[in-house]
Amino acid sequence: MSDFTEKLLLPEIPNLHNIDVYEQNSGYQALRKVLEMTPDAVIDVVKKSNLKGRGGACFPTGLKWSFMPKQSSKPKYLCANGDEGEPGTFKDRQIFEFNPHLFIEGSLISAYAMGVQVIYVYIRGEYVKWINLLQKAIDDAYAKKYIGKKILGTNFSTEMYIFPGAGAYICGEESSLMNSIEGDRGYPRVKPPFPAQNGLWGCPTTINNIETLSNVPLIINRGAEWYSKIGEPKHPGTLLFGISGHVNKPGVYELPTGTLLTDIIYKYAGGVRDNKKIKAVIPGGSSTKWIRGEEIDGVRMDSEALKAYDTSIGTGGIIVMDDDTDVLKVLARLIHFYHHESCGQCTPCREGCGWMEKIIKRFIAGEGKLEDIDLLLNVANNIEGNTVCALGDAAAWPVQSVIKKFREEFEKRVRKIPIEKKYVPPPHLIVEKV
Amino acid sequence: MVKITIDGKQYEVENNLTIIQAARESKIHIPHFCWHPKLTVSGNCRVCLVEVEKMPKLVIACSTQVADGMIVHTNSEKVIKAQNAVLEFILINHPLDCPICDEAGECKLQDYAYKYSVGESRFEFDKVRKPKRVELGPNVMLDTERCIMCSRCIRFCDEIAKKPQLTFTQRGDHVELTTFPGECLDNPYSMNVIDLCPVGALTSRDFRFKARVWEMSSTDTICVGCSRGCNIKMWVRNNEILRLTPRMNPQVNDYWMCDYGRLNTFKHVNAANRIKAPMIRKEGKLVEVGWDEAIAKVSSELKAYKKPEIAAIGSAFSSNEDNYLFVKLMGILGVKKLDIMPHIKTGDQDELLIREDKTPNMVGTREVGVKPDSNEFGFSSIMNDIRHGKVRALYVLDDDIAADPNIAEALIKIDFLVVHASNENETVKLADVVLASSSYAEKHGTFTNFQGKVQRNRPAVATLDHDRILDGMELSRLDKFGSHNDRWTQGIKRDTRATWRIVNMLATAIGIRWRYNTCEEVFNEIAAAIPAFKGLSYLKIGTNGALLNLKKKSVTVKD
Ligand SMILES: Cc1cc2nc3c(=O)[nH]c(=O)nc-3n(C[C@H](O)[C@H](O)[C@H](O)COP(=O)(O)O)c2cc1C
Ligand code: SF4
Ligand code: SF4
Repeated sequence: MSDFTEKLLLPEIPNLHNIDVYEQNSGYQALRKVLEMTPDAVIDVVKKSNLKGRGGACFPTGLKWSFMPKQSSKPKYLCANGDEGEPGTFKDRQIFEFNPHLFIEGSLISAYAMGVQVIYVYIRGEYVKWINLLQKAIDDAYAKKYIGKKILGTNFSTEMYIFPGAGAYICGEESSLMNSIEGDRGYPRVKPPFPAQNGLWGCPTTINNIETLSNVPLIINRGAEWYSKIGEPKHPGTLLFGISGHVNKPGVYELPTGTLLTDIIYKYAGGVRDNKKIKAVIPGGSSTKWIRGEEIDGVRMDSEALKAYDTSIGTGGIIVMDDDTDVLKVLARLIHFYHHESCGQCTPCREGCGWMEKIIKRFIAGEGKLEDIDLLLNVANNIEGNTVCALGDAAAWPVQSVIKKFREEFEKRVRKIPIEKKYVPPPHLIVEKV
Repeated sequence: MVKITIDGKQYEVENNLTIIQAARESKIHIPHFCWHPKLTVSGNCRVCLVEVEKMPKLVIACSTQVADGMIVHTNSEKVIKAQNAVLEFILINHPLDCPICDEAGECKLQDYAYKYSVGESRFEFDKVRKPKRVELGPNVMLDTERCIMCSRCIRFCDEIAKKPQLTFTQRGDHVELTTFPGECLDNPYSMNVIDLCPVGALTSRDFRFKARVWEMSSTDTICVGCSRGCNIKMWVRNNEILRLTPRMNPQVNDYWMCDYGRLNTFKHVNAANRIKAPMIRKEGKLVEVGWDEAIAKVSSELKAYKKPEIAAIGSAFSSNEDNYLFVKLMGILGVKKLDIMPHIKTGDQDELLIREDKTPNMVGTREVGVKPDSNEFGFSSIMNDIRHGKVRALYVLDDDIAADPNIAEALIKIDFLVVHASNENETVKLADVVLASSSYAEKHGTFTNFQGKVQRNRPAVATLDHDRILDGMELSRLDKFGSHNDRWTQGIKRDTRATWRIVNMLATAIGIRWRYNTCEEVFNEIAAAIPAFKGLSYLKIGTNGALLNLKKKSVTVKD
């Protein structure tokens, strides 16, 4: 299916961010169509399309929506997740900038399908420019009665607010995000209960990524059947691949799932700087496991294919490292990131990330010990699976994969000269013999 | 009910329980720091990880609900490995200052480090440094480095004290406990966070560095700060009370007590103004005398007055037994003017524990009969009678009634004033005879709280009347193994007696033949004589108390 070349989320139409232009290009038609369907029918279409979440975990979107209670005495919420804190990930902001109404329309459809009264768009605080752009788009949509009371004259009403984050990666984790909106510390919640039962302010809530929601109008307009055939059938659609690192043309490329990693690097991103060889690739944002340069031939970029390489599609943020890269330094930088961003709530991640950073820094300083390699691995293993949220796993995975795939790099950095161990008593304890 | 298997044994448990609760009910201990039976689940310490068959990962026992057919392993290899890992993680940044830490000896981390960790660390770096000695509030000190971020204290303030004053700031291993801007930890229950803190991060500014916990004895008793009667442990070293801590009683105080009770109900016991022996006023001055002389004096003086000229004030600070014998003696002497002085602090009451009635035994004192037959014998009538010279002799049980200046003024008119007192006070200043009574910490007795719950207090401090070893009081290691050259085995023992015993001595001097050898015997008589106490005994009261048989529900039981 890699012959699919259409750009669905970011079509090359000038000024598409402008609501009139968007409308001229069949904008808000999907919403109109949906308002004549039953909410359940909408969920069914999304289920049939096989749309998977773009926030990192690839969770089936229609299924997630169906967890929301049909009847609820409490209000229901949708949180659109635009925190985009994952290193190597910078795709949602493209949507805010170039096609904000697609996202707004998708959110409205999803709100209609789940009976949501309020949509919060959680955007990382540093995205000031994009917050302003989206706010403008929301205001325009309000003015045209797409959002607000009695949308397009129907009985469906929903509000939409932007909530700027305060600069913590952890607030992109869905339960932390809800605490943050509630005005609390960004601490992830213990699950269960799941957000669909007990979410924002204890009310039924669904959290979806910006890109996920932006796919919805396309599915409604052109049918689940059509959508489900784009790219890899088990993970259909196009992805906004954000590629960075040692490539000539870093940026965001919209391509169908299942596209060859080598095509993305060489055909779209212009190949590697100075034509060097590739040492390693991180396929889906900093939390995904690494692939060695020698392995990348034939790697297809979708959730299924990447399983074979013991990694995952994550957010689709590809980081390419050429042959001159010091992988230990890169790993040290990543560990530093997770150490710095760990919320500190649960023991293994809070303590383990700091410990891992201390060990890796010892290698960087050339002071590492051979035993430290397995110690580092063991600390990562002790974090993985034992934490409140997935940040712990995200911190452990790169470490595990780099040790597995680049052990020799660690061994090279082990301290050569043994530390001389000799006991010298402090002066006041040196007693002259009589 | 559902059937679950824990470590190979089947149990039938309620289906709304979590694994940790179900295990607890079946007497299986799953280690935990952040979980507490009365706080919401935070699930953050991760030491309660257990293995549940068919679940892909280990799960935390504190938040995982039981389900029918669930098979749980709390000590499989995987679980032990996870426990080892979590303890190693907690210890990498925890100071190893047990030798100077107040918590040592009652520290959850210390205990778990012995039980669930491998016993050595692979951590070879500098620990994270954080502020030491942070005054969180008037009563609580924080050592930020010792904090293991379990969040129990924060949840206590939010959920129980209902005063959100604490929070975490920073992230990762730099997280610090602190108060909200402009707040300090000064809620009336703030010191419970010290007991809740599983390590030595939160310490009592009153108690810290006073003793190692194993040097003290701890006695199960009750607080006398108000009519709640919180169940407490009284900690004593060298015959001196050093601290009080709450003792769990789900019907009275759960796991909590208020700061007022914790700090203000024991210091008088060892205060310098203790009355060490009976005293008689001679040539205008109170001088110490022997018990026989003091009792003889009271007995002969009382005979000199006509019955209506004598009035008696019982005490809601004294036990049921004290008041019962007092009423009985006054009955025999024909004294009708008999009441107590109320101590109500209007408005000083809340939803959790604190009660307006600042006496520990108002209900019991009334039930054993300290109540005037009619209004003309009530407290204010008695005071009026004193002002008008109608009452000339007054007998006051342990209560500083002259602390009220109006009453002090009236008492000047009294010809003969006898008081029971443990400490010097305004009433003592006016007394003709002072009978040195034991404080609540030095005697047996029962108190009846506002719910009608009869609860025992036990002697924790020895007197010449109560010997620590012979009378089976709680012992510390120093009490057991200390020798005479040990500076912590030689605390003062005073010549004070329990009020009921003093009353008994007086009765004997008057010629009444009573044979009460122990407080328990007095109680048994109360149980036989007074319907509300029917069927009660010290055994039945036990450590958690027993309710009076009150026909009308005079009080509402609040949990
Ligand atoms: C530490 C952490 C950070 C996350 N950050 C983001 C983020 O910035 N944006 C996002 O969409 N999802 C993020 N997620 C994933 C969300 O928890 C959640 O799975 C996602 O928003 C669901 O949307 P989807 O079903 O549409 O993929 C993060 C998860 C973790 C554990
Ligand atoms: S895993 Fe890390 S980020 Fe997630 S709750 Fe635990 S400490 Fe916080
Ligand atoms: S509430 Fe009353 S009985 Fe309980 S600790 Fe406080 S003063 Fe003592």
